[in-house]
Amino acid sequence: MKTVFVRPELCIGCRHCEVACAVEHAENKNILGAVTEKKKSQPRIFVETGPGYKTFPNRCRHCDPAPCMQVCPTGALVRDNASGSVGMAYARCIGCAVCAMACPFGIIRFGPVRQLDTDREVNAKCDNCLERQKEGLIPACAWACKTGALEFGDANDLVRTSRKDFTTRLVLAEGKGAEVTALPPNIRAFRAIMEELAGL
Amino acid sequence: MYDSSERKKIAAARALDATDQEIIEKAIDDGLTTAWDRLADQQPQCGFGALGVCCNRCAMGPCRIEPFGKKPTRGVCGADADTIVARNLLDDLATGAAAHSDHGREVVEVMLETAEGRSQGYQITDEAKLAAVAAEYGIKTGKRKKEEIAKELAHAFLEEFGTAKGKLQMAGRAPAKTQEVWKKLGIVPRGVDREIVEGMHRVHMGVDAEYTNILLHAMRVSLADGWGGSMIATECSDILFGTPKPIKTRANLGVLSKDKVNIAMHGHNPILSEMIVKAAADPALVKRATEKGAKGINLVGMCCTGNELLMRRGVPVAGTFLDQELAIATGALEAMVVDYQCIFPSLPQTASCYHTKVVTTSVKTKIPGAVFKEFRPENAYDTAKEIVTLAIDNFPNRNPARVRIPAKPIDMMAGFSEETIRKALGGTYKPLIDAIVAGKIRGVVGIVGCNNPKIKQDYGHITLARALIKRNILVVETGCAAIASGKNGLLVPEAADLAGDGLKAVCKALGIPPVLHMGSCVDNSRILVLAAHVANELGVGIGDLPVCGAAPEWYSQKAISIGTYFVSSGVYVVLGIPPKIFGSANVTTLLAAQLQGITNACFAVEPDPLKAADLLEAEINRKRAALKI
Repeated sequence: MKTVFVRPELCIGCRHCEVACAVEHAENKNILGAVTEKKKSQPRIFVETGPGYKTFPNRCRHCDPAPCMQVCPTGALVRDNASGSVGMAYARCIGCAVCAMACPFGIIRFGPVRQLDTDREVNAKCDNCLERQKEGLIPACAWACKTGALEFGDANDLVRTSRKDFTTRLVLAEGKGAEVTALPPNIRAFRAIMEELAGL
Repeated sequence: MYDSSERKKIAAARALDATDQEIIEKAIDDGLTTAWDRLADQQPQCGFGALGVCCNRCAMGPCRIEPFGKKPTRGVCGADADTIVARNLLDDLATGAAAHSDHGREVVEVMLETAEGRSQGYQITDEAKLAAVAAEYGIKTGKRKKEEIAKELAHAFLEEFGTAKGKLQMAGRAPAKTQEVWKKLGIVPRGVDREIVEGMHRVHMGVDAEYTNILLHAMRVSLADGWGGSMIATECSDILFGTPKPIKTRANLGVLSKDKVNIAMHGHNPILSEMIVKAAADPALVKRATEKGAKGINLVGMCCTGNELLMRRGVPVAGTFLDQELAIATGALEAMVVDYQCIFPSLPQTASCYHTKVVTTSVKTKIPGAVFKEFRPENAYDTAKEIVTLAIDNFPNRNPARVRIPAKPIDMMAGFSEETIRKALGGTYKPLIDAIVAGKIRGVVGIVGCNNPKIKQDYGHITLARALIKRNILVVETGCAAIASGKNGLLVPEAADLAGDGLKAVCKALGIPPVLHMGSCVDNSRILVLAAHVANELGVGIGDLPVCGAAPEWYSQKAISIGTYFVSSGVYVVLGIPPKIFGSANVTTLLAAQLQGITNACFAVEPDPLKAADLLEAEINRKRAALKI
């Protein structure tokens, strides 16, 4: 099972993933062209700021079974069997937002899409960059992420790193040699200051 | 890491020139990291920055404006995309203007120290130019000693930087109609440092928020560069080292020598490189080189200091901005001596793969891993000798097994200063004007600027120059654009065969190339002076002339200043690389359209050089039609 794994501690909130996602889903696949389009492409990933200025890039988890698919009355949410991704048949969407109510992650956003002739707002959710994946490319958000906060790969492989990290921490009791959260001291210091500042 | 066919493919995508491609392949083979690799490593580059909507000025930020129409639409201070984009542009432009102008100031300081007998190895060379410029400043010449005149002129020049008189003498060279436009807009430059400092003031939070007002000041800063700092750099360099005259030399990485001590001079200011040229001819040092097993000392230029040297001394030029790492990758370079601007901070790391020593010389430019030899006017010659000695002593460390020098340098001709062109035409621009009126020459385009790894090296410069001369448009060049043409064989009289019939006939009659090398990037001021002379002879403004500019491969903030002083002076400019302004529709429209109604010139962005040629030709035709020719 392939997924975009999130390591929130590595997210610095630059929102590169958002821009790359919007550009990827625009008609022009470059930023200068994308911003001039009438129906402006919107990101389908959301870098949210949490307490203490900490950020988290939130996106569709492509659940299976997917709650959104289960509740959709028109069958607008469709699974791509090859990649396991949950995509959209935009024309079938009636904008009822029941999918968004069912989504455990709150990642569904409605808006006009270039694939439809009207300006009707439909579920414009993450499609796991199916077009890119068909070309052998990884999803745009993970490609754009410079810090490793978003990593695309086999879920078990990616989880294994976290598990190993946890084991190391547990055994050494101080995180020495930990892989996932080996943050440089300056970044840790910066985050500590920001966390403090958030409370002032 | 790659097989040879893969390497060839990568090299062909990176550079147009075959000698560059050869060394790019070697660099890949040697495992070297170059600007092209670093550009790939940087992908994707931040979209907020690329659009100019990233503001990192104050500690409430960093802020960015969401470019797709969502929130945030304003920074913490309340600046919107227009304000942020305009402030960023003014900041970049002021940086570029400062670079040119601080370079200029340093030449003036050397002139002053030379006039006062405090410098070592320099002299006042061009007395005719000294007298002419002194006269412009109202300095008495007569039978006074050249040192006395130079001293007074140096003080007059220095006053232009922090002037209290509220105007720049050199800007008076612009035609009356052009100056009238500046007056109307309130952008007459008042002093070099003043405009730059005021620019820095305006980009501070809570000062200028109106994008039009910010951009007007940007124009003023650029004029203080083009008609101030840069022009002073050019004039003063000519007085100290001589005004360039047509001269022949050779270009590309093939100018490096297999059996001599190779020293590359990279950077911008002739005050360093001229002294190295002198030191390299010192018999004791030549002897030392032979003792170390070399057959002599081979000096080569790189980037604009290379242009300064080839314009005046015919020193061969190894290449453009993106050749700095490749020159080292030949494995044949004993030393790369740099002053400032356009020096990759990673050069010492690149050099560490070979025996090459990187020598920094300016207190303004220190690079970790480089050898620092402070260069000061009072002991310039001694320091130059020290640097050359260091290179000679490094010769035995060269590993011949790791050397590859491309076979064939290309012949080129340079030295087309404004004075030289005017003299060649018989003391007046009437023959050029007649040729333009008759349509033999449709117009003139200045192709200037850098390399940028975002576009295949030299492809933009060369494709554009070739397309323009074919359409009977005379091309004048400076900076890395001019070196690119040298490498490509466009700077020889025989290249006239590539031009359209009209331009070809004119070039053949005068024995000149269809692409004229006018110098370094501060020497864009020579193009301004040329345009001013032509406009004055015709009694029009520069904005009325069928003259355009292009920067197909620019990267530097200096190019923003150059482009803007061209446009502010009435010259339409096509940029091959998009400036960071697209995050503001208002700023983009102002620069790419509305300015035309004000200075009769504006910017355009067109990466494809063939389409750029169409735009430039159309603009030339528009201006010709307005002149009824």
